[in-house]
Amino acid sequence: MSDSEAPGAPEASTEVSTEDGSPAETPDRSSPTTPDNSTDVAPTRKARRRPEIQPVADVKEKPKVEEQPAEAPTPSQSTVSQGGWGYWGSWGKTILSTATATVATVGQGLTQVIEKAETSLGIPSPTELSARVEEEQKEQAESSSGTDRVPGDGSAAVESAFGMLSSLTSVVQSTGKTMITGGLDALEFIGKKTMDVIAEGDPGFKKTKGLMNRNSTLSQVLREAKEREEQQTAETESSDSEKKMVAHYGMLFDEFQGLSHLEALEILSRESESKVKSVLTTLSGDERVQLRADLELIKESFSLVEFDDEDVDEKKDEDGSEFVRELTESLEGLSVTATAEKLSKACRSTCSQITDMTKPEQEEEGSEEGVKKTLSVEDVHAAAIRSLAELTARSIELFHKLAEMILFSNSSTEASALSQLTVVLCKEISLLSKKFTSCLTTAGSNEKGDVLNPLITGVFLEASNSASYIQDAFQLLRPIVEISHIQRSAESTEQ
Amino acid sequence: MAYAYLFKYIIIGDTGVGKSCLLLQFTDKRFQPVHDLTIGVEFGARMITIDGKQIKLQIWDTAGQESFRSITRSYYRGAAGALLVYDITRRDTFNHLTTWLEDARQHSNSNMVIMLIGNKSDLESRREVKKEEGEAFAREHGLIFMETSAKTASNVEEAFINTAKEIYEKIQEGVFDINNEVRHTSLCFSFLLKPLHSSSVPVFPLFLLSVVFQQCVWFATLPLS
Repeated sequence: MSDSEAPGAPEASTEVSTEDGSPAETPDRSSPTTPDNSTDVAPTRKARRRPEIQPVADVKEKPKVEEQPAEAPTPSQSTVSQGGWGYWGSWGKTILSTATATVATVGQGLTQVIEKAETSLGIPSPTELSARVEEEQKEQAESSSGTDRVPGDGSAAVESAFGMLSSLTSVVQSTGKTMITGGLDALEFIGKKTMDVIAEGDPGFKKTKGLMNRNSTLSQVLREAKEREEQQTAETESSDSEKKMVAHYGMLFDEFQGLSHLEALEILSRESESKVKSVLTTLSGDERVQLRADLELIKESFSLVEFDDEDVDEKKDEDGSEFVRELTESLEGLSVTATAEKLSKACRSTCSQITDMTKPEQEEEGSEEGVKKTLSVEDVHAAAIRSLAELTARSIELFHKLAEMILFSNSSTEASALSQLTVVLCKEISLLSKKFTSCLTTAGSNEKGDVLNPLITGVFLEASNSASYIQDAFQLLRPIVEISHIQRSAESTEQ
Repeated sequence: MAYAYLFKYIIIGDTGVGKSCLLLQFTDKRFQPVHDLTIGVEFGARMITIDGKQIKLQIWDTAGQESFRSITRSYYRGAAGALLVYDITRRDTFNHLTTWLEDARQHSNSNMVIMLIGNKSDLESRREVKKEEGEAFAREHGLIFMETSAKTASNVEEAFINTAKEIYEKIQEGVFDINNEVRHTSLCFSFLLKPLHSSSVPVFPLFLLSVVFQQCVWFATLPLS
């Protein structure tokens, strides 16, 4: 791992620096959505406002891209404008993190830096964290089976103890809207520290700035990231067989056609966006005012992704049937059954995989130590990354199909149903990553921390990225819902 | 896993001519007689080798239904190759070729290689369109032509690979002039050269500069009108 420090580190810094670029100018973009998580938000906010981020924003090298900073200052605009980084809004932060820190790097530079940051910041190690997850799960299982569980008592204690965990896993938390932003905040916080380290080795971020200013679409960035990943595999495979253990999220995501569906969804989204714009320019007077108001409403429902905290016992969802039920519920009347079925199937198989992983451990606890281990930590890690990649790809596919059906049938689609779907998907990703990391902890109980920690961190990171892709795909649906609304109201006035 | 080029293909043609079956035969080497109606677009990918170079084909299998046309047209952009498919046992699917061709020409770049495919060649007894007619149509419109059977796999490999060869030749000849193309459509998605050893910025065919890529991407992100 140490030999890969040099190439790994600059990449990690890219992720970091992009995070810095926009939030510096719009410090409050994500903070309104994180009111109830003061433990991990507070340091992050401080970090986010630190002035040291400025140099990064200054290293823009291509004059063409200069329009981008102009987009950034207005949060509402930045989520609307298309094409540039600003379009991705706050989610752009993690996209780049995948672009640059995708799997290959996770095993190398970034994790290393995170580990460093962890030690220097006093963040509990991933092993500790996921060990605590297990404890918590047991606790919760006990308390929930005890029926008379006092809400706010045990859970509050757990909550505070897990403040950092939820910020690392990002999606683990079921309280409020913090789920994903929490993760970003923590990564960003870690990132700030990382940057200080990297800045020493790469003054002016010369090596990294080239990656940041590219005005390209999400799927392109991902594709490029994946290609880099492939090269790295090709280069390392022959020389270092140890590297094989690193599962490649980006490559798997593409294998499941996640990239293609994302690209297609982007195309539809972009075209819808420009159609909406041109409709707006042709309208005048009251009609225009009315339409603007309607669009504003749609926009609002897309900015409020509400995560409800009622489903504490979702942890009992061992075979994925609960997820399938919720998924079917949120897709009711949206006629994408075939695609949803693919996703459900993927989820069920993941769940049974996890069950298989945990079962033998419990059964053979009394038996000899030596025979016990059937799965290595690398196997568990690979299964986790593969499952996350597949579920995410299937989720993107689902959003793409939804987009096509909305445009095709032109039926009324409530944005709230779509955001509910997003919540369901993100929760599932969070739940699974949690289960996988506790599997990792069990499987790696005899491993040293420096073997286990990067793997666990990797799973958390990719889970956080998965959630971001799903959120991005959700945002891409907005112009599609808008144009569908416009067409429907045009039809109704004609009649 | 590494590849030198990535080509985007689109498969177009009337509903029921066997587009999805052709793709399945090419990517999975199997035939599925009953296929769900394609919604919007589905995907397939396969690696092939031409002139010793690995080429990845990213295939967009579009829905043939008329009602999906407005959506599927959006997907034409950036395609390097198109498979235009008709059913030799249904004359109407052949008659609609002109419309499909116009569509393809209008919504993609002019250098796109188009392969005309008369599918279901195993159903000789029910043939309604003579092979010569297909050949004549292809000649007239500057297309490559082949009759295939997704069921027996006859000519399926050849159809996909010959299209790629044609694209590859055009690249070698430098026919694809990115500076001219880019104003109308974006070529960058289809003809990116994926180098084996670059670190961050993709390297392009010799006749391209990476600066062009920046512009190209920039244009590509602009709305179409």
